[in-house]
Amino acid sequence: MVSVYIHIPFCEKKCNYCAFLSFCPSNAERKRYLSALIDEIERYDGDNVAKTIYFGGGTPSLLTTEELGTIFQKLRQKFEILSGAEITIEVNPNSISEEKVKFYREMGINRVSVGVQSLNNKTLKKIGRLHSKRDVKLALKTLSKYYDNISADLILGLENEKNVCHYAKKLLKWKVKHISAYMLEVHKNTPLFEAVNRGEYRPLSADGVTKSYEKLVKFLKKYHFFQYEVSNFAINGFESKHNLNYWSYGDYVGFGISAHSFLGGVRSANSSNLKGYYGGEKNCEKIDSKMEIEERIMLGLRSQVGVSKLALKKLGYDITLSETYRKLLKEGVIREDGDRFYLNEKFYKFADYHILNLIA
Amino acid sequence: MKLSNKRNFCIIAHIDHGKSTLADRLIEMSGTVAKRDMQAQILDSMELEREKGITIKLAPTRLIYNYKGEEFELNLIDTPGHVDFTYEVSRSLVACEGALLLVDASQGVEAQTLANTFLALDNNLEIVPIINKIDLPSARVSEVKKEIEEVIGLDAEDCPCISAKEGLNIEDVFKAIIEKIPAPTGDENAKLKCLIFDSHYDNFKGAICLIRVFDGKIKKGDRILMMQTKKEFEVTEVGIFVPTTKECEVLKAGEVGYVAGSIKTIADVKVGDTITSASNPISEPLAGYKEVQPVVFCGIFPVDGARYGELKDALDKLKLNDASLQFLPENSSALGYGFRCGFLGLLHLEIITERLEREFNLDIITTAPSVSYNVYKTNGDVLEVSNPSNLPPTVEIAKIEEPMVNVNIFSPPDYVGTIMELCQNKRGVYKNMVYLDKRRVELKYRIPLGEIIYDFFDSLKSRTRGYASFDYEFDGFESAELVRVDILLNGEKCDALSMIVHKEKAYSRGRELAERLKKIIPRQLFEVPIQACIGNKIIARETISAMRKDVLAKCYGGDITRKRKLLEKQKEGKKRMRKIGSVEIPAEAFMSILKLDEDK
Repeated sequence: MVSVYIHIPFCEKKCNYCAFLSFCPSNAERKRYLSALIDEIERYDGDNVAKTIYFGGGTPSLLTTEELGTIFQKLRQKFEILSGAEITIEVNPNSISEEKVKFYREMGINRVSVGVQSLNNKTLKKIGRLHSKRDVKLALKTLSKYYDNISADLILGLENEKNVCHYAKKLLKWKVKHISAYMLEVHKNTPLFEAVNRGEYRPLSADGVTKSYEKLVKFLKKYHFFQYEVSNFAINGFESKHNLNYWSYGDYVGFGISAHSFLGGVRSANSSNLKGYYGGEKNCEKIDSKMEIEERIMLGLRSQVGVSKLALKKLGYDITLSETYRKLLKEGVIREDGDRFYLNEKFYKFADYHILNLIA
Repeated sequence: MKLSNKRNFCIIAHIDHGKSTLADRLIEMSGTVAKRDMQAQILDSMELEREKGITIKLAPTRLIYNYKGEEFELNLIDTPGHVDFTYEVSRSLVACEGALLLVDASQGVEAQTLANTFLALDNNLEIVPIINKIDLPSARVSEVKKEIEEVIGLDAEDCPCISAKEGLNIEDVFKAIIEKIPAPTGDENAKLKCLIFDSHYDNFKGAICLIRVFDGKIKKGDRILMMQTKKEFEVTEVGIFVPTTKECEVLKAGEVGYVAGSIKTIADVKVGDTITSASNPISEPLAGYKEVQPVVFCGIFPVDGARYGELKDALDKLKLNDASLQFLPENSSALGYGFRCGFLGLLHLEIITERLEREFNLDIITTAPSVSYNVYKTNGDVLEVSNPSNLPPTVEIAKIEEPMVNVNIFSPPDYVGTIMELCQNKRGVYKNMVYLDKRRVELKYRIPLGEIIYDFFDSLKSRTRGYASFDYEFDGFESAELVRVDILLNGEKCDALSMIVHKEKAYSRGRELAERLKKIIPRQLFEVPIQACIGNKIIARETISAMRKDVLAKCYGGDITRKRKLLEKQKEGKKRMRKIGSVEIPAEAFMSILKLDEDK
């Protein structure tokens, strides 16, 4: 069984903070990309039982119903999609219509992730988003007619956004069942980076981000949102199965430019430029046992998937012998439950620090 | 070949003035090495030297040159062109009758050139000025000629003006060597008298002595005596350099070559020692021999404590070829087991640490360099202290003496003010200032060596935009009011960060170091106070506030590799961390004392 990821790099306009590959395509480019994507799915000859499917981007909601239909047709040809498989699409509040939403349902899409980021129009404009608070409200209203499983993305650390709990409260009211809250990263070669350098944009300090994160964690807990990963919160049963698969070391296959796959212990990444992608360029890396130990700890501790001690032992690492491990256990940073150990949610803000200590 | 057709010479040049290039050109034009075997800067044997573009020492080489129908044998003996190796330079000079003084046509005479030129004049060498890089647009040949005449007092009227790089006028250099430099003298029938001017270690032949024969002859089977070490050996091989070693039957008076004698350790071969016959020795050794003493010291520790044994092996191997390197085991509470090493100077230190990392693949932590102090205790004991943490408590010290150096600085006049300020900051005492011509001033100061090794060179370069050059020589010890400043991290003393400084500078240095450490040491999960103190007295305090968060937000679309690579990079960084109590500090912190700088 695999999880399937489909990358749609189209955007109406690139957001100021985005360092990833996306572009506003001409019609010809759009056609060429989609036909390459279909070809790539066609060429795939690995495990063909899909347990989750995820359309990410970019902005997958920019796909026309016809385009999306063609991709689904190919997917159904190649894969046996398990009944009850989670099928997600990422959408922007300003690029959906009732017609599209209906079509998503028809295609079997059963989960929608909305790129909200903020509910302050000034903030949204500054970071280059094209939607407004009203767009979000309308989009969620339309979506909730057809969907129960709706997720929303928020960004922490934006200028002046010291507390995002009131946004979360609104989203909850609008029937959102899952929230991803990512901390703003200012990457080089982005307009935001330039603006920060010129002193025109002031993201929150590390202290400020941490505080807003802690407030949100507390708030969501009150509303029975379970923090099942560093940045992900959900009502019981609404966790993203697709993402859980990454953290629990499952296989996945990615189609599209710069998409990543993990199949049979080999990680591969498609080229991240169009020419390379069309030429079928790929980077592959076989994960040896040392890397696997690091990855299992790194991924498992970020989430409530946890890490299996037995799995590590089979790879030659008995973590119970590690002095750091025993110390963290004693201090309550880590808790054990049967064969698995977990990072206590309270320490998520230091997750990378503790992970590093455990593998170094 | 008769003596009158031989010449022994060396090249004196400032770094970058083109010594190696000229040597290459001479080799090439004399046909000593076939053109196809030429490798740029053939005599720079060490990878490090070739890469840095500096030549510490060239291999000696014999050139055969046909001049006016006669064959001449020209022995090029190289001198290391750096202040750290002044003694070795002086011994190489003794082996020659003449020196080529190579001056860059746009840079002019530099401090180091001058120092070595005077050293050559002291040894009665015939000096032949040569102006190089005349092809550069910035060349100012006539001015540089005038400079040579005025500053050094040599006649530069008809000196060869060349471009070693372009191979321009190289014949003039051969002509000057043959016509101006005297042929060696010496009596091959007299008792054996040879000078060891250099040495290196060969895995098969043992220690090899590079020698100049003054009198007598030396051949395989002879019993020889080293007059300073009083050790006797049987010669197993003699030979010459072309530039690789080539065995020959005999070396005679006036010649340059090498001697091997199953000498197991390089410590038995002292540069400057005299070789004579064991059965028929001369009565007096050659003058000028000196035991070389290290002047700069630092601790060297393996990043990974388990590699202590490898570090020891590596130092042993380096010492095989470098008798001036000294090391003793040392134990630091902060850094674990390592060695306290002694060097001839900062360049020597830098070369050794780089070779340890490159040739032996060792990850090392070095502590800030220190000089050796003479400490007189109240109970009458005298100690030599080269590791600040070994300084006895203040109450037990009657006085401390620090090594002094006389510094010569050459600079364009525009920078005199800033240089004087720098020297005063470094507790220098002004001695003299001479305007050599319109564009050059020579300044003389007496400065504690301990101040020179704290970023003096870098400050001088940055203050003068690289135009000044400097050189120094030892000038005894002098007592000074020195104290030890210790650093406490979270209340625990970090011995590797202690420093000995002048009392008046203790406060500012302590404060600067605390500030710098605050920048270098990453935030920990808890707040970490950094304190600088003298004895029990706190003189400065900084606080590293606790870490707020350390978590990366997102794994984009299953890109686990990116995250793992980041983690692996951090893991590498973590290996370079040391723990003082519960505080983790990066290896660079231990060198940070060096970066304390009034110029910041």
